[in-house]
Amino acid sequence: MRILLVEDEPELKLLLREALTQAGFAVDAVAELADADEHMHQGSYDVLVLDLGLPDGDGLALLARLRREGTGLPVLILTARDGLEERVAGLDAGADDYLVKPFHIPELISRIRALLRRPNTLAGMQLEAGNLAFDPIERDAAVAGRLLKLTTREAGLLELLLRRVGRVVTRTAIEQGLYSFDNPIGSNAVEVLMHRLRRKLTEAGATAEVHTLRGVGYLLAPPK
Amino acid sequence: MTGRRAPASLTLRLAWRLGALMLAAMAAAAAAVAWRAIVTVRDMDDAALQVAARTVAAHVRRGPAGQITVALPAALAAPFLDEEKKIIYLVFDRQGHLRASSDAVVAPSIVPFVPAHGGLFRVPGGRDGRPMLGWLEQAGPWRVAVLKDHEQSQALIRALLERFFAAALWLLGPIALGAVLVAVLTLRHGLRPLALASAAAARAGPTHPGVRLPTTGLTRELMPLVNAVNDALARLERGLDVQRRFSGEAAHALRTPLAVLTARLNALPEGPSSADLGRDVDRMARLVEQMLQMARLEGLPLDVSHRVDLHQVAVEAISNLAPLALQRGIDLALAEGTTPVAVLGNAAALVLALSNLLENALAEAPAGSVVEVEINPPARIAVLDRGPGIPPAEREAIFLRFRRGGRSASAGKSAAGSSGAGLGLAIVAEIAAQHGGSVRVEEREGGGARFVIELPAERGNG
Repeated sequence: MRILLVEDEPELKLLLREALTQAGFAVDAVAELADADEHMHQGSYDVLVLDLGLPDGDGLALLARLRREGTGLPVLILTARDGLEERVAGLDAGADDYLVKPFHIPELISRIRALLRRPNTLAGMQLEAGNLAFDPIERDAAVAGRLLKLTTREAGLLELLLRRVGRVVTRTAIEQGLYSFDNPIGSNAVEVLMHRLRRKLTEAGATAEVHTLRGVGYLLAPPK
Repeated sequence: MTGRRAPASLTLRLAWRLGALMLAAMAAAAAAVAWRAIVTVRDMDDAALQVAARTVAAHVRRGPAGQITVALPAALAAPFLDEEKKIIYLVFDRQGHLRASSDAVVAPSIVPFVPAHGGLFRVPGGRDGRPMLGWLEQAGPWRVAVLKDHEQSQALIRALLERFFAAALWLLGPIALGAVLVAVLTLRHGLRPLALASAAAARAGPTHPGVRLPTTGLTRELMPLVNAVNDALARLERGLDVQRRFSGEAAHALRTPLAVLTARLNALPEGPSSADLGRDVDRMARLVEQMLQMARLEGLPLDVSHRVDLHQVAVEAISNLAPLALQRGIDLALAEGTTPVAVLGNAAALVLALSNLLENALAEAPAGSVVEVEINPPARIAVLDRGPGIPPAEREAIFLRFRRGGRSASAGKSAAGSSGAGLGLAIVAEIAAQHGGSVRVEEREGGGARFVIELPAERGNG
């Protein structure tokens, strides 16, 4: 997993590179947009971690150019600017995630991992939470190595939850992810589906737990 | 709005005044024409009567028996014979005795009014009691008076004036109307660029500081005002720009060292002192964050012109705080009515406000309880917790800056509480106020607090 880190604060750059390297990533760290550009053209990266206020320009400009060129590279923005409008500007420009300084390094690492779990990156990577594992290609789920029998919809729901471990998956996202427009669903279809999945997970002894946020969605929490 | 008079309309005023001027001009013209007509007709009367008198005088004859006759040739006699508009003559001798007349019936009633000397005279009641106009001519031994009905001249004047008005009003009316119309249209056309300028001015505001009023097509009279407004807008934009830059620079200057500090702490081996330090730094970071948000809110007014779905706001805020709730063992839930609730506002700011309320509730609610968000029409967001609640005396003060209110006791004990206190509720109040709304806290039925953000209902469609 190669990460390009663009951060102009020298100490922060150093600390982040060390921490990310320790977490098992190969990290190239640069401090300027021009260097970032050069690296982007030479190497191939899995994630771009981008600071916005750089000495030779705005990171948003690089992001906008990447998106214009049609690059689907996952981008996580780090910024010390968090005006109420700037968060929106960053996501509008095509960022996949957004962290405001100061942040905790474990949080950064989990966000990067979440980006790597996205469907358009690294197919075949195993999704995991506790003793629960899911293979997005084979669409096999297993708890503690024992295969779990899931329907297509249940497997799809589990995948959605696993791709955002520790974060909320909204009902709307589930409805859009699992049901097509020309196949309208009943008002409690998601609840029923979740109920069945939960029972199967519990019966199989999964350590990760699905939490309900009534009216909002669900969250798969890894064991503490 | 009520009781205030609508501002005067320039167009209406111009139309009124020009119309009045036109009417006055027409009246003056009519008066002048009427006067001229009267004078002319009178002059004509004088001349005609004088001629008639001389004609009569020239034909006075003394008969053999001393009787006086007037022997007019037929051609000249006609006016004296016409029954309707008959001219009457009276012939007096030097002693003033009436010696002859063309109308023996009327003559006696006229005699008393005939003056001693020649010239024009009037008879108030002549033939059939009607007023008459006469001329007395001295001709040799005779004094000849010639009279005609005064009403004849009056009728002539009336006929003249009627003809004048019939013709002139036909002409003057449309001219006056045309003049008013041209003036109003010219004014309207000249002021039309002002409508464009007004539309531009309506768009100007803290969120669109670059707007300037268009000057194309403006008349010279309006230029100074529009230029002055544009200069003022430019000065305001510069001021906002300074504020915005400062806000950004302050955020950068404060957040960057905190980010380094946090990263360095994360790199430390785990232990009791690093955990304590971590908490302290988190608290510091939280406070800096809130102060920056407050400074941002106060320095630069929010753009609250977007249509925002409150359901969306609640889902985002709850999603943001779900990990923290999970960590505390508290459930988050959204209870909402069936109708979607939309407001005009700033989505990011409303998410921030609701997140602050949720954070506050999570700091107070006991583990195992539910913190609920309710959305109700017309535009109300409420956060309900089962914490200790807020004593009535504190319910206003907790929205002030750096007031911890009734929550300080429990807040001091846990890192959780301290992160919720401080400026969080003041930020909620500021965001609500900038939306034209308010925030309050009530006692929740069955124990706990109910924080309510009340926003103005969406008017029309945004």
